[in-house]
Amino acid sequence: MKYVDEFRDPKLIEKAAEEIRRLADPKRHYRIMEVCGGHTHSIYRFGLQDLLPENLELVHGPGCPVCVLPMGRVDDGLRLAQNPQVILTAFGDMMRVPGQMGTPLEMKARGVDIRMVYSPLDALKLAEKNPAREVVFFAIGFETTAPSTALTLLRAKKMGIPNFTVFSNHVNIIPAMRAILDSPDMRLDGFVGPGHVSTVIGCRPYEFVAREYSRPVVVSGFEPLDLLQSLVMLLRQLNEGRAEVENQYERVVPWDGNQAALAAMAEVFELRPFFEWRGLGFISQSALKLRPEYAPWDAEARFEVAGVRVTDPKAAQCGEVLKGVLKPPQCKLFGKECTPEKPVGALMVSSEGACAAYYNYVHRAELVSGD
Amino acid sequence: MPHNLEFYASCTLDADGCTTCGDVAVPTFVIEVVGRDAVVRDRLGQQATIAVDFFPEVRVGDVLLVHMGVAIAKLPAPAAGAGQEGVA
Repeated sequence: MKYVDEFRDPKLIEKAAEEIRRLADPKRHYRIMEVCGGHTHSIYRFGLQDLLPENLELVHGPGCPVCVLPMGRVDDGLRLAQNPQVILTAFGDMMRVPGQMGTPLEMKARGVDIRMVYSPLDALKLAEKNPAREVVFFAIGFETTAPSTALTLLRAKKMGIPNFTVFSNHVNIIPAMRAILDSPDMRLDGFVGPGHVSTVIGCRPYEFVAREYSRPVVVSGFEPLDLLQSLVMLLRQLNEGRAEVENQYERVVPWDGNQAALAAMAEVFELRPFFEWRGLGFISQSALKLRPEYAPWDAEARFEVAGVRVTDPKAAQCGEVLKGVLKPPQCKLFGKECTPEKPVGALMVSSEGACAAYYNYVHRAELVSGD
Repeated sequence: MPHNLEFYASCTLDADGCTTCGDVAVPTFVIEVVGRDAVVRDRLGQQATIAVDFFPEVRVGDVLLVHMGVAIAKLPAPAAGAGQEGVA
């Protein structure tokens, strides 16, 4: 397969891995965070960790929206769904996220009207087809996804559809990165920046990381060669004492992002003063709510949302894994009480979550080989 | 099938990894434009109707990156030999 093969060409991958080994100073220990869950998934899927020298450690970041959503917000969505007037709609993986009341899928099995959609636009179509019901879309995701929700709300307003609302749980990647950089546990040397979030926001928003924290950021694609090239670029910067924002994924990511998508988001959303992130706590101005002009389409304005906080299961150590303090198998529940089939923590629910990726690509292999 | 679909990412409309993930996008080829929607085809030939509101100038033959039913990027055709540079 042309192009994909080139980004997975064993010779080129070996060449890149050799370059990484050459650049990795044996007297240093490099800790690089891949912010995006898609990158975590690729790293495990292609076994890239095995190609890297021991002193280059990849730390998995907070870039999976399912993983950072606190249980209380799941329960808030499920309480909305218990209203017999409501059809709750959600993306596929969201259906398996456990709240204190169970998962959306379990609630659906108990007869609650919860439906899976591929796009928020599908939820809007459902509202058109069911004018006697209230269709609520459980919105989740970073800046790659928020434009889709914004566009759907723009259309809902223009079309005057009164029975469609959004329960917004959209979050922003930049405040999460700042929270990690400000953490007393912070021992990171650089960041592999998210690829498709950056298609929307561009590379410029990461400049504060280089300027204020003297850490390099390289925005990366998702193929093995993309990630290895990004690590080469990061090691070169670190060895030369540079801290800059670089764009490895130039074929997709414009430096200034997608202005039309950003304008749609600005039209529909405003920043929440605070939002709770699983594992990271409350982060100021880190999430999006609907502007007052969109109150008729805002589930939090139209319905009663309890906003109850739910403490995570004590034994699950999602927070420590999210911050890169623990590796997935170091969690007490990993592979025992907490598996992809029966997840306890959010990092095991989403296939992009660090624990699910590790379980599927490393742990299963170890079980088979007996290592 | 235009070769440049495969230059961008390996996801498809049918299997694009985690559907909830904030950072998955699928490269597609535009085969029809109808108002603010477009019919697109991925590298496996799967088709979908998507919103192209962010790209009002979109034309048949363009390559779009699609996330959750909405085009979020319009992509240039890759240069010959792209993908091999910058390793060493």
